[in-house]
Amino acid sequence: MEEFSRIASGIKGLDQILDGGLIKGASYIVQGRPGAGKTILSNQIAFHHAAGGGSVLFVTLLSESHDRLFQALGTLDFFNAQRLGNDISYVSVFQTMREEGLDAVVQLLRRETKRRKATLLVFDGLLNARDRADTDFDVKTFVAEVQGQAAFVGCTVLFLTSASLEETSPEHTMVDGVIEMGDMLAGVRTVRQLQVRKSRGSKALGGLHKFEIDRRGITVYPRIETVFAEAPEACELPSARMSTGLLLLDDLMEGGLPAGSITLVAGPTGSGKTTLGLHFLARGTADEPALHFGFFENEKRLRTKAASLGIALPEPDSSSLTIRNRALGEQLIDRLAHELIDEVQERQVKRLFIDGLGGFERAAVHRDRLLEFFATLTNKLRSLGVTTMATWETREILAPEVHAPFGQVSAVLDNLVLLRQFEENHELRRSISIQKMRESVFDFAPRQYAFAQDGFKIDEGQRVNAKGSAASATAAS
Amino acid sequence: MALIVVADDEFLLAAMLADILEDEGHETTLASHGHEALERIRTRRPALLITDFMMPIMTGLELAQAIKADQEISDIPIILVSGAQGDIARQHGDLFAEVLDKPYRHADLIAAVERLLPG
Repeated sequence: MEEFSRIASGIKGLDQILDGGLIKGASYIVQGRPGAGKTILSNQIAFHHAAGGGSVLFVTLLSESHDRLFQALGTLDFFNAQRLGNDISYVSVFQTMREEGLDAVVQLLRRETKRRKATLLVFDGLLNARDRADTDFDVKTFVAEVQGQAAFVGCTVLFLTSASLEETSPEHTMVDGVIEMGDMLAGVRTVRQLQVRKSRGSKALGGLHKFEIDRRGITVYPRIETVFAEAPEACELPSARMSTGLLLLDDLMEGGLPAGSITLVAGPTGSGKTTLGLHFLARGTADEPALHFGFFENEKRLRTKAASLGIALPEPDSSSLTIRNRALGEQLIDRLAHELIDEVQERQVKRLFIDGLGGFERAAVHRDRLLEFFATLTNKLRSLGVTTMATWETREILAPEVHAPFGQVSAVLDNLVLLRQFEENHELRRSISIQKMRESVFDFAPRQYAFAQDGFKIDEGQRVNAKGSAASATAAS
Repeated sequence: MALIVVADDEFLLAAMLADILEDEGHETTLASHGHEALERIRTRRPALLITDFMMPIMTGLELAQAIKADQEISDIPIILVSGAQGDIARQHGDLFAEVLDKPYRHADLIAAVERLLPG
């Protein structure tokens, strides 16, 4: 099967969604209300295209003046004034359209495309052209002529419009692709999103994908369920074991965590989830790099905490441990996932501690996709061969029972470790138990634990019965 | 009163500029690209040309080069008003009598016009 020749958009994430980029010589509609990001998207593509040796013709009708546009673009990293008038030219055809009509615009575009040897044509004002047309047939003819003459010289076309054109509109029927940009209110926050509504001859990643605009321009975060579709069988667990950092816990697990597995440590606040993670991270080496990906404590606080518990973390700036902290503010769940996966791949991380999955949950706009999201994320991590320990904070602070963080946890995790706190005879007791280990034998009896000078201390002899009461090892067995 | 040709593809901006110049007592004629401006200049010689840089068919730079290459009109002073190509234009000091970066103050433009018009 013959592959299309493509041009890269230069927008992180967008080329993934477009199955490799814009098709050379194809035409696309970029639609969305004013402020949706069409101008930034098209200019970012234009400057990236010019930087790669292409020639861009940016045509406007009734829009903001070019100098105001340049002022606005000047705040963005991709803008380069040196390219203006050289390999990117902005021209207005407003007067030609008003005085002479769409046919004259078509002729002018043909002439300018040829004269400037344009390989990318951006036409900002499809709605104005539509207003100028007498019939739908005229609109179709205009679009067909512009894209036809551009395709003839291998020039890719972006038609920008602020109208939400229907799928049956004459413009939609003519072009090769339609990218719709918009936003939604999620509670009190606004979230930008785009969708490829038409992609002729390409397998675009369907559905809505969130994006952000900052000084770098637009960054798109494709839904990870559409990008990382590894089937679970492609992520078989290897037989090797990886130490948790606690010898007794390793013993209970018959040798430690299966390498490449996902372990959830669930427990209430103050129960020692992060401490357990610090033990796990402390085993990071240059050959077995560790990554902390958290939402609560920055590096300084984590190191202080580790030092106070006698846990020796690898030195800062060493390749053995990387600590990444994300604020629990208005995050995008797919952004977090992409950042995590990129970091794991870049540093070839073997030990990953996520503190905790609740940070991802808080970032979710569409909570009904959480199970699929976590299943995809964990499958991807398994396929990367990283052994993952993740925390989940349970709601009950003092209770022998623990509720699952979400349904069908088996789809997400391989191993489950529960930390519980309960009162007995006016004393606070803590217990740790292994509830699940996929395809492994393990000791499931709860054990008491405490925090000592050298961190998390499991009491080998003190098992705990089902109601939380302490019992001696002999009695429990 | 002097005739001034204003060439700018952003035609509404050109029309606004023409209004300002007419308020100052000048006569203006508009062109939406360099080629159209050249035709108008050859049809009726103006005292001054004010042109944008990036325009379809013929850019402001190409227009200025065409004017300087034509002995009949080569002495017409040219003001270039540019959104972002002022530096490029300044490298062609022989072509442009003045270069104004957009956005410019109207008073600066009027002052430049007055400097360049005879008498």
